[in-house]
Amino acid sequence: MWLPAGLIVLAFISLYPIIYAVINSLKTEPQSTVNPFWFTNWPLQWSNFLIAFETIWHAFFTSAIITSVSVVGIIALASLSGYAFARIPFPAKNVLFMIIFGLLLVPGFLTLIPLFIEIKDFGLLDHDLGLILPYIAGGQAFAIFVFRSFFSGLPDEIFESAVMDGASDLTLYGRIVMPLSIPIMVTIAIINVVGIWGDYVLPSLVMNATGHRTLAVAIVSFEAPKFAPSLNVYNIELAAYLLASIPLLFLFSFLMKYFIQGMTSGSIKM
Amino acid sequence: MQPRGLTAALPETSARTVTHRRLVSGPNSSRRWVIGYLFILPTLVFVGVFSYYPAVKAMQGAFSNWNGFNPPVFVGLGNFVQMFQDPVFIASLWHVLIWTVVGIPLSLIPPFLVAEMIFHLGKARSQYVFRTMFIIPMVLPGFVGLLIWLFIYQPTGLLNQFLGAVGLGFLRHQWLADPHTALGALIGMGFPWIGAFQLLVLYAGLQAIPMEILDAAAVDGVGTWSRIRAIDIPMIRGQWKLLFILAIVSVPQNLIAPLILTDGGPGTATVTPVFYMYQTAIGYGLYGYGMAIAFLLFLAMMLLAIVNMKYIQSQPD
Repeated sequence: MWLPAGLIVLAFISLYPIIYAVINSLKTEPQSTVNPFWFTNWPLQWSNFLIAFETIWHAFFTSAIITSVSVVGIIALASLSGYAFARIPFPAKNVLFMIIFGLLLVPGFLTLIPLFIEIKDFGLLDHDLGLILPYIAGGQAFAIFVFRSFFSGLPDEIFESAVMDGASDLTLYGRIVMPLSIPIMVTIAIINVVGIWGDYVLPSLVMNATGHRTLAVAIVSFEAPKFAPSLNVYNIELAAYLLASIPLLFLFSFLMKYFIQGMTSGSIKM
Repeated sequence: MQPRGLTAALPETSARTVTHRRLVSGPNSSRRWVIGYLFILPTLVFVGVFSYYPAVKAMQGAFSNWNGFNPPVFVGLGNFVQMFQDPVFIASLWHVLIWTVVGIPLSLIPPFLVAEMIFHLGKARSQYVFRTMFIIPMVLPGFVGLLIWLFIYQPTGLLNQFLGAVGLGFLRHQWLADPHTALGALIGMGFPWIGAFQLLVLYAGLQAIPMEILDAAAVDGVGTWSRIRAIDIPMIRGQWKLLFILAIVSVPQNLIAPLILTDGGPGTATVTPVFYMYQTAIGYGLYGYGMAIAFLLFLAMMLLAIVNMKYIQSQPD
């Protein structure tokens, strides 16, 4: 009996920052100062969310475009490469794989400054592509690593019969590998959406123009006093944080099954 | 799961003739390697331009004096010599050492304990419910999680109000404004540190342990702790390896927490090498010096990762 009880306590503490944000995003600032732990008086301040949305909606959609294009690019390119590394024999395969795999050991901070300068030299500052292209590159190593390991584990028999019928590699990839790999692809997509949607450092350098920012940049600079003085700045900020979490909430509610299936398929290990 | 796509694909593909198969360089073609290269070509172009090129530039930059506009001037090891006379850099090394030594166990042990707890719940249904509950915090984007912790640590924030409410008011503190607690506050963020990713990976490992082994252990009357030590931990070696390597490369990279929460302060209390790299390059325009810091940290991390890979691999499987 202590096992579920302990888990409930731990889960409650883990979830508390979210609960705290929800409670206080619906109050006025004086109400939160009196008691931040629970609702003190009604009515709830839904207007906080309206003001927050007006402030961040542009950045919200900018981030939505950048994230979705990047993730589709990562999955498309990495699954093709993962298929080639797992299923097609070609010269220098191991060397090429190590070249890509080695990128897992190249940390983001090493390339941050040269990458920023490169993006600037390409004239892509304040342009969505200035983030999309590096994100697609940055997502390759991990995704290929997982895809290769998953595709290698698919039973040979299902390939053999299709090959006997003259299927090309593109057919094998599109008709056999893809349908069987939806959970693992969804998993890799979610991991990348979470990473890109929540990224701050590169966007703070590349998309810092007022009026065209990513959500992370807009929300972090939300604190700045440029915001119209209002009694509830602190609560409106919390409302903005929750709005920023909505896409991930949707993603998880619809794809949770696939995500857990993919994560627990046994391909994510060394 | 049976491939529904396969049965649908068969009649169509079987219509193809032998000549057609040769044309499309099918799996039996002698030119199949071309297809292999074509499949990986887009990846190679992307990582070449946006990963390897900047990496090479980073290493060149480390040995140069550069303000980002004029051509870089080669200065040999000058940046590295300067680094070890720079008290801020020395301080940042201590901070990252503490952060790594404390942070890696924090990122691995709590998720493992929770994975064990969930794994040993009797019903599959309750396993599912708890797994889901611990994944929910993933819906908070990374920067939002940090900003909420910023609120929690404020002088009038949740932590101090909680301490007051439970009668521990004397412990109330300016967590981020005091040089003695600022670094600890950053490391302690995310309490109770049950990372969803780590949890799922470890839980998957536990699920993959053959039932016979666990049954045999139960029949032999092996206690919980001895079973965890003798069976569970060694059996999920592959998961440990991956998570450990990921932790080694991710914990020292912590830039965004000091950047958003403390700006390295108070004073230099929360300056990490990566934050200092950002500050010297972006803030002060010392691109060469910043890249030298990044390069040195990169070498240190590589060394650590290689040593660990070797050590872990030398254990019998």
